[in-house]
Amino acid sequence: MTGAELFGIIDMQNVFLVMAVLIVMASLVSLYRGIEGPGIFNRIVAVNVIGTKTIVLLVLIGFIYGRPDFFDIALVYAILNFIMTIAATRY
Amino acid sequence: MIYDTLINLIVVLLLTIGVFFMLSGTIGFARFPDFYSRMHATGKCDTLGEGLMLVALIIYEVAYTGVCEGPLKNALLVGVKMLFLIMFILLANPTSTHAIAKAAYDVGLEPWRKPDETIAWLDTGRGEGDDEDGGETS
Repeated sequence: MTGAELFGIIDMQNVFLVMAVLIVMASLVSLYRGIEGPGIFNRIVAVNVIGTKTIVLLVLIGFIYGRPDFFDIALVYAILNFIMTIAATRY
Repeated sequence: MIYDTLINLIVVLLLTIGVFFMLSGTIGFARFPDFYSRMHATGKCDTLGEGLMLVALIIYEVAYTGVCEGPLKNALLVGVKMLFLIMFILLANPTSTHAIAKAAYDVGLEPWRKPDETIAWLDTGRGEGDDEDGGETS
């Protein structure tokens, strides 16, 4: 990107990429609880947690590829996640 | 140059702290025995980790104008948009956590569906309590 963003030796895009990979690993651990967890509430919480991690992941993808469209997608995904959780708990 | 290094150091530090909070919350979500303790693990760690990471990305975005190319080249617009995202997350995530916990409480469960593990965990506590009782009687 413009400005090169070198912190010592490390490129900042690689830092964002490492953070995105760590968030994907945390999301996979949450997915285990969502599949295995007993009861409906554990699955609702797992979906909520994965959605929360997906928002940060979308923003990081927008920073990695330099496209500002992903921030709008992250906003819409946050609103949809909130509405879906409220609707699932009010059934 | 030293300014860029300082900004990058702050951004990397905030991102690392946020990822640490998210990973610890996820480990607590996978390992805790009860439903309410899992809610306790996830409800705060995800909000704090996400807030820290988005604050770091806002600092990065505002410090280097021009990360986002294309029609939206204005970096301040993206920063304000992510600030809205942080404010919405800070409002919505505790609300949804409270709604889930309230629904689980209204359905009626002291521990949800896992009495075996909870009672076994309490039995170990009672074993230690018996030792304390023995100490009291002696």
